[in-house]
Amino acid sequence: MTKTENNILLISITLCWASSYIFIKNLPEDFSSYAYLTLTCGIAALLMALIFAKQLRKLRKNTWIKGGILSIILSVNLLTEKKGISLLAPSNASFLAALTIIIVPLLMLFFRQKPSKNLMLGACIIVLGLCISTGFTISGFYSTGTFYMLATCIGSAIYTIAVDRYVKEEDPLLICIVQMIFSTVIGFIFWYMEDPKTFACILYTRELLSNIFILAFFAKAYAYIVLMFSQKYTDAVSVTVIAATEPVITLGLSVLLPASYGGGQGVSSSSVAGAVVIAAGAVVAGLHFLERREKNCEV
Amino acid sequence: MRIGKGKQFLITLAAFFVLGISFKVMVLVEGLTEVRPVNAIPPVAGLICGPIGAAACGIGNLLADMAGTFSESSALGVIGNFLAAYLPYRLWHLFSDEEPNLHSGKNIVKYCVISAVCAMTVSWILAFGLYIMQGIWLEQIYTYVFFNNLGFSIGLGMPLFIILTSDSVRIECCRFTGRNYILEQPVLRQAVCVGYAGFMLLLFTGVEVWHFNPAEIPWMLSVSAAAAVSLIVILI
Repeated sequence: MTKTENNILLISITLCWASSYIFIKNLPEDFSSYAYLTLTCGIAALLMALIFAKQLRKLRKNTWIKGGILSIILSVNLLTEKKGISLLAPSNASFLAALTIIIVPLLMLFFRQKPSKNLMLGACIIVLGLCISTGFTISGFYSTGTFYMLATCIGSAIYTIAVDRYVKEEDPLLICIVQMIFSTVIGFIFWYMEDPKTFACILYTRELLSNIFILAFFAKAYAYIVLMFSQKYTDAVSVTVIAATEPVITLGLSVLLPASYGGGQGVSSSSVAGAVVIAAGAVVAGLHFLERREKNCEV
Repeated sequence: MRIGKGKQFLITLAAFFVLGISFKVMVLVEGLTEVRPVNAIPPVAGLICGPIGAAACGIGNLLADMAGTFSESSALGVIGNFLAAYLPYRLWHLFSDEEPNLHSGKNIVKYCVISAVCAMTVSWILAFGLYIMQGIWLEQIYTYVFFNNLGFSIGLGMPLFIILTSDSVRIECCRFTGRNYILEQPVLRQAVCVGYAGFMLLLFTGVEVWHFNPAEIPWMLSVSAAAAVSLIVILI
């Protein structure tokens, strides 16, 4: 797989995750996030198991362990994120969540993996873009919500680095299926603790089932399979850089989508300027001019 | 990886049907169209499975229509979705001897151009077909069908095609084994295809930029007739 093909895959994941808010918004307000986790991951696991039934024979103990670890990290992330969002303003929460782009390179240094200079510069430009898009508003961060969101960032960074390592050792497809199975189990345990009626407490409508199925297919099955595949061919920082372009994609969706599906909103000049800077940061991160310059200087 | 023709047909049909039904709730024009990520499937199915994939897309769309939006305009949906898959297969093999893949920048551009031509073709067939069949002109239909086809073919279809043709999966694409009855000569091939793309672009500009209506602007129907002839020549 070429680098361009890999980047296209990563952009498509960002597109899926950016647009998933439309379907999450269509879920009933009192819909439990544990029910969401159980149903979406459960359907995704079932779909993947059906489609790739033949590959399941290759499952080994190591794959189960690694998939299990990934699902635990993901579930903890979901819980801290949920808590953080409930305690912070949405713009502050989304800004803090995007700081993963700084934490991934820092964590990589602990593993003695040095990201390239272009990637570091690109990450800094992206953070500047995020600041511009929020209008440099720094109020409302003095809350425990900030702590939860930072924990989410660290969790996301650990997840990205762990996936980066595991998919190079195991079959990405199998790890993805195992991760979905464990996430379903974890989600169900929490759901049961919240409401023992679990599946019986949901009012099943066509809209609800459609939204759940769409989220299971795109935000879980498709996005995670593609993520695992593409991480096999690239590094963790590149993945985070492309994921950080989510505000650019969200901006595009808000312009293109009809109002009834969350689009048709006015676009502020700060969000456009922020999106342009973020896109520029992603381009800088994808190039190698700083390395070339350094090599030329050495010569 | 090699998949039998029967299996190719069933997988494409099932994927089209399931995705088509799921998004019936995201209606854009009542009874006619909705947000359709399923439009990511036709170019991929066409390039990988050829005519069989195209047939599965057409029939899959009809089956999905039966779950809520079935009407006489469903016939246009069958033709539109068949062409959305068959035209990429035909165009790719008219201009390239290599098996469909996106490993080079040139091939990515080729895929995007083919997707754009196909999106214009499907929106033309549905909007103008509806006008000819029922005398109704809906500019919205042209717009939504175009963006549904273009957006999802590139946004979702392209990554899907990259995975299927990657080293890990390495699916074998359907080769063009027939012969070009009319477009044997490369010059003629290029002239007809460029002419067809030009007609589509003219109609697109007429509808989307100038907001023309075929009832008031007769040349749109003349251009449509010329485009239909070129399309038949390309398909033969």
